[in-house]
Amino acid sequence: MDRQWFNQYEKHVPHSIPYPEIPIHHFLLDTVAKRPDDIAISFNEIHIPYKELNARVNLLADALQKAGVEKGDRVALLLVNSPVYVVSFFAVMKIGAVVVNLGVGVLGEELVRCLNGSDAKVMVTMDLFAPSLYKVIKNTGVKTVILYSVMGLEKKLSIEEGAPQPQLYQDILAAARNTEEPAVKVSHRDIAVLQYTSGSTGTPKAATLTHYNLVASVLQTDQWIGIENAGNAAVICVIPFFHVFGLSACCLLSVLRGYRMILIPRVDLMDILSLIKTIETYRPISFPAVPSLWGAILSLPPETARNQLFSIQVATSGGAPLPSWIHERFENLTGRKMMEAYGLSEASSATHFTPYPSGGPKGSIGVPLPDTEARIMDLETGERECAVGEIGELVVKGPQVMQGYWRNEDLTSAALRHGWFYTGDLARMDQDGFFYIMDRKDDLIISSGYNIYPNQIEDILEKHPKIREAAVIGVPDRIKGQAIFAVIVLREGMQADKEEFLKYCKENMPDYRVPKTILIRDAIPRNPAGKILKRVLRQDAQVV
Amino acid sequence: MMEELLQELKKKIVEELDLKDINPNELADDTLFFDGGLGLDSVDLMVLVALVDRDYGVEIFNRELGKEVFITLSTLAEYIAKHRKKN
Repeated sequence: MDRQWFNQYEKHVPHSIPYPEIPIHHFLLDTVAKRPDDIAISFNEIHIPYKELNARVNLLADALQKAGVEKGDRVALLLVNSPVYVVSFFAVMKIGAVVVNLGVGVLGEELVRCLNGSDAKVMVTMDLFAPSLYKVIKNTGVKTVILYSVMGLEKKLSIEEGAPQPQLYQDILAAARNTEEPAVKVSHRDIAVLQYTSGSTGTPKAATLTHYNLVASVLQTDQWIGIENAGNAAVICVIPFFHVFGLSACCLLSVLRGYRMILIPRVDLMDILSLIKTIETYRPISFPAVPSLWGAILSLPPETARNQLFSIQVATSGGAPLPSWIHERFENLTGRKMMEAYGLSEASSATHFTPYPSGGPKGSIGVPLPDTEARIMDLETGERECAVGEIGELVVKGPQVMQGYWRNEDLTSAALRHGWFYTGDLARMDQDGFFYIMDRKDDLIISSGYNIYPNQIEDILEKHPKIREAAVIGVPDRIKGQAIFAVIVLREGMQADKEEFLKYCKENMPDYRVPKTILIRDAIPRNPAGKILKRVLRQDAQVV
Repeated sequence: MMEELLQELKKKIVEELDLKDINPNELADDTLFFDGGLGLDSVDLMVLVALVDRDYGVEIFNRELGKEVFITLSTLAEYIAKHRKKN
């Protein structure tokens, strides 16, 4: 197979990288050994040096072991970007256990499915999420809950009989004394992370990522960027670490390089406002974000935006296609190209990047990273490689690609064929080896960087007593990429206005899944076979 | 003056956030931005911050101030009226 994309590699990027056979926490140990006093984390007014971070990691690792966590056990993290996330992640890694990486928007039944599917017995979370967790915890196998208290909400927590009493993270760390490295032998082949991702059926599935997958992913990105000797440079960590892009490009890459992670937690909506002052204060070298956030920042007046952006050498966008106006405005303001990344939970993070610093053609996701193969396969059989320019399904192969879906052989064998991961994204490759995402095979909606399947919203809408049926599509949105548009049909004799359903949605699903527009119709348009005619819904959306 | 500013803000917000379902003339002055009102998210909030900075020269770049200002259309209009640098 021709790898035309090698011609696009910058001089500093090797075609292949020798990946060390180490567990991921060796990145932390190496940095602690080399630069112990450099700041690892800045979080509000708290600044934690690497040696202190490592000591906290070891204290929690010891506490987890004393709580009965053994090698291979799953520990669920339901946390925003915060010191407790970083400490918990590395503590779990050091004792050879497995992080179950959960989005903080995961609630109710979905949370139960993730916890039971992963068989997690221990969970680390925050008091802010405890009320929703404790509504369902008795339906799960979780026996130990470690709670980081932000607002003291644990005191008001209603705990049913038989549910585990939460243990305060702060108390555990204060009582712990052992800062020695845990005596657990962890191999690069061991599973490190179960990364939950929504499936097209709405059933959550977990990509199984080994230490080797994570190490490879981080080194690929590091070599691609190729910045040396940046010291304790700041990296803005606003992308949640529960997302692989945030974990790999923000957290793990920072630890590898000894950068200072500037954590933006996004517990509530207003946290985003501190982003602007934070950029001004820390002058970050790198700022990975989703397109909608870039769009919002670049909507600021030019002088304000330029002032914010001038220090950022590596501006990366991932999680959704980057609209061209964002690219252009960034370049006009800074004289630099924005780097676009494409990746998946199943690939630990990125498989493609546009070249850094020269950039790629408009609309392109770039070229495959070192040691990453990519092909476009025909949609009918998935067995024939498409010609240059022909649209087919993007398939990828590389050291960062997952082992499979956790305890789900059917899904694994459908997605991983002969070592190639079938992404579900329709794409084409041009003659120079640049790839372009054209569409999805399924009805995935990507809004503000979140992957949303229509049935995740339709199922909840259809549980409303006044709604007979619902259909959901994504419609173009200048800032968010796509916005959610829902059409509902009321049960006979029922009357209601849209506000009632919007309120219901806000109470029953994470914010990013709440439809922007709800249209009440007499019927959902369907073809003779009963399949929803999304094309007609899209026409409705245009009229609205 | 305040009435004029409120009407102008409503129109700008509906346009900027592309709120297709909403007629700016029907928006009440005490409409909440969040919590069951317009139902905005964090990206919408950043877009609003950008609008207020760009069109009125008013910077709202910290969470404490944001909590006081981004409550309703009226609270935002009042803050802009007091601090605007652009007409």
